[in-house]
Amino acid sequence: MKFRQLAPVVAAVCLAAFSAEARVKLVALPDRARTVVSLAHPDFTLVEEERVIPLQKGVNQIDFAWRGVSIDPDTIQVRIIGNTNVAVLNTSFPPNENALVWSVNSPAAKEERFRISYLLQGLTREVVYKAVADPDERSLSLRSYLRLRNDSGEDLSDAEVGLGHGAAFKKSIAHEEVLEMQFAKNDAVPIRKLLTWDSKAQPWDPEYQKNVIGLPLVYVITNGAPQKLGAYTLAPGKARIFLKTKDQPAAAGEQVSDGVAFTGEDMLGLTPVDREARLNIGQSRDVKVTQRQTKNDRTNIRRDRNNQEVLWDTDEEFRLEIENFKKQPVDLVITQHIPGYWKMVQTSHPIVKKDAFTFEIPLVLVKETGGTNKTVVTFKLQRLNIEGNEPQNY
Amino acid sequence: MKRVALFLSLFLALVVPASARLNVVSLPGRDTVQLTIYNSVDLTLVKETRHLTFRKGLNKLEFSWANTLIDPTSVEFRPLTSADKIEVVDVSFPPRVANTLEWRIQSEIAGEVVVEIRYFTSGLKWSADYVVEASGDEKTAKLSGNVRVTNNSGEDYENAQIRLLVGTIKLVEEIAILAQQGRPGQPTAIPMSAPAPMLEARRSLGRAMAAGVALAEDRMEKAKEIVKEELSEYFLFTIEGRDTVPNGWSKRLPSFQAAGVPIESLYKFEKERFGVNVVRHYKFKNDTRSKLGEVPLPDGEVKAFRQAEKDGLLHFVGATRVKYIPVNEDIELVLGPDPEVLVRPVMTNWEKTDLRFNNDGRVIGSTLKETWEFTVQNSRAIDVTVDIRRNFAGDWSIETTAANDKMDNAKVKFLRTLKPREKQTFTYELIRRTGANATR
Repeated sequence: MKFRQLAPVVAAVCLAAFSAEARVKLVALPDRARTVVSLAHPDFTLVEEERVIPLQKGVNQIDFAWRGVSIDPDTIQVRIIGNTNVAVLNTSFPPNENALVWSVNSPAAKEERFRISYLLQGLTREVVYKAVADPDERSLSLRSYLRLRNDSGEDLSDAEVGLGHGAAFKKSIAHEEVLEMQFAKNDAVPIRKLLTWDSKAQPWDPEYQKNVIGLPLVYVITNGAPQKLGAYTLAPGKARIFLKTKDQPAAAGEQVSDGVAFTGEDMLGLTPVDREARLNIGQSRDVKVTQRQTKNDRTNIRRDRNNQEVLWDTDEEFRLEIENFKKQPVDLVITQHIPGYWKMVQTSHPIVKKDAFTFEIPLVLVKETGGTNKTVVTFKLQRLNIEGNEPQNY
Repeated sequence: MKRVALFLSLFLALVVPASARLNVVSLPGRDTVQLTIYNSVDLTLVKETRHLTFRKGLNKLEFSWANTLIDPTSVEFRPLTSADKIEVVDVSFPPRVANTLEWRIQSEIAGEVVVEIRYFTSGLKWSADYVVEASGDEKTAKLSGNVRVTNNSGEDYENAQIRLLVGTIKLVEEIAILAQQGRPGQPTAIPMSAPAPMLEARRSLGRAMAAGVALAEDRMEKAKEIVKEELSEYFLFTIEGRDTVPNGWSKRLPSFQAAGVPIESLYKFEKERFGVNVVRHYKFKNDTRSKLGEVPLPDGEVKAFRQAEKDGLLHFVGATRVKYIPVNEDIELVLGPDPEVLVRPVMTNWEKTDLRFNNDGRVIGSTLKETWEFTVQNSRAIDVTVDIRRNFAGDWSIETTAANDKMDNAKVKFLRTLKPREKQTFTYELIRRTGANATR
């Protein structure tokens, strides 16, 4: 079914007499000569369409009407393309109609190219990503797709659809059609695979848990030039991650072939250039973290007249035992949260302070370090001037 | 739809009862109409002139305005010719008749007189709107202003001179309420809505009238100029020539255009105002250097676009509303959050020291030292300026090597300029003295 809901009608009025008996001398329904759809704004769709409109000498009335199309009438603009002495005199809005009338003066009878722009509702877009990671999970091939859904009420033919970066697509999309197109292809994009353990989110002692504790698995992608990205902001969208595999032959005599396995998906957040995106695509059950607080002593206690403790310090010690049952080394980031005023006294491994109440311990776990071969992390800290009302975050 | 009517009657005092109205001798049309439309209140001053033929002696002039929104207390009559020979004896609002008045006019002459009739009506309004087209590097912009007049007054004002008043005036009573009364002092018993819709008839009339307007515009080669003049605390915009805005219609006319206006791509971060977002602004000045500055810019809607790479195509940047902007005032268009510019404040250290105790040994004061690190990152391909504001309460001080401006006793501003794709960091230490340690 074809819709033709947007219709500029040219009514050139008779110039011969200045009477109220204006006559319509010409009615034309000019087709779109060009349609450009800008999706550069994340929430709004800007349509610019060009139409070649025949004009009479003098003032012409150009009726622009839309029916069943979700146009924001306050955003409709008209411009005349090229050097011309044709002028838009004014715009009239009739009551109770989705229409407007431009008064356009032309010094001669001629055709003129008009660019009409407006914000169109109902043309929704979605960006989806599909990525295939190499077996060593150090790089992936990223494919970016634009999924357009046209519920605007209008058929768009040969529209130049642009995202605000890169070349536009020339596509036709009918009302109620969904169209998906690939807009970017990036190979050998380096990624960093991380496992994470957070002292607030994960149980400290897995022995007391019914099920095996999975550690969140994260792929870190930086939207930068060294990563073969960085040309534009990555729009938010669902990313599905696959891993390259070998498909075993189905029958004797067949060759092993290339295949993929789906390993998880996550919503990629909006990622501007030179910023990092984290995709949490699943869990690892082959790394086990056990944390215990081995010391928590109050010191330097100050008491009030009633012998109540009003201020004290603490000496605290922590020990983590980490086992990697995998046959590959693993990057693991341990996150710790310490409220209030504290000072680190001693650590077995370097720490990275993320904010006043949070620090991380980045670790590279050697392969197969379970049982007696486990990695042990310890740290000692002092908390100072505790009143019991210390801030946990800011 | 013409609903305002004027009837001139002969008043034959000797042979008919005083209450009779008869002998309609003419239905004089308007010669000229002037509309002065206010934007701060729902008020339009209508001034019309008509040619009337008076008899020597007493004349009766009936003026009625059914289905319009005219304030009956505002209607005035004034002779423009032979003014010293024409006198309004009195004005009567006839009983049981709404939206009608009668002037009894004593004329010393017989013949044609030009009269002016003035009244207030509601239902007409005007608004300004603007389109900003920034260049690709967002250093300059083309700024176009428009005015839009909307007529829901119930009356078609044909070939009217339209004046738009920019300014704020006071009204003791709303014109729309006075209009509903129909007569001065009448309680508003019958709720009178806006004029009844007469869709089809009005639409066809409107179309015809629009065509009529086109005829009046036939000799025009360019958009009408809008003459702007200062008037006390107000500005008066007069649209060149005459216009017709039929009832129910609105009309948008170009008001001004300025190309090459220097703009600044300014970003603001203030948690208390914008949350965690960095909000994009286009900043420019209503001055002559910016090719503006002749008159204030009335408040109105703004649509902002940015030039795309080629063909003069545009990208939509955002929509906002601007306040009234006096001459030489800065204009900041608030265009919404832009995640491509990042401001990330992180408190990297927190210390509580200098504990003070009272005689009972309880803590009554301390000094908190916070170390803050700000990461400011520009992922855009253009230069940007970022205005970061921090608000503090109580007894506080900061120490930093970063340039800052202490705006008042509770606000500090850090202004950073960033090249494309640049990332900067700066830090400050905030000392807050609490309880007994506070000195202010």
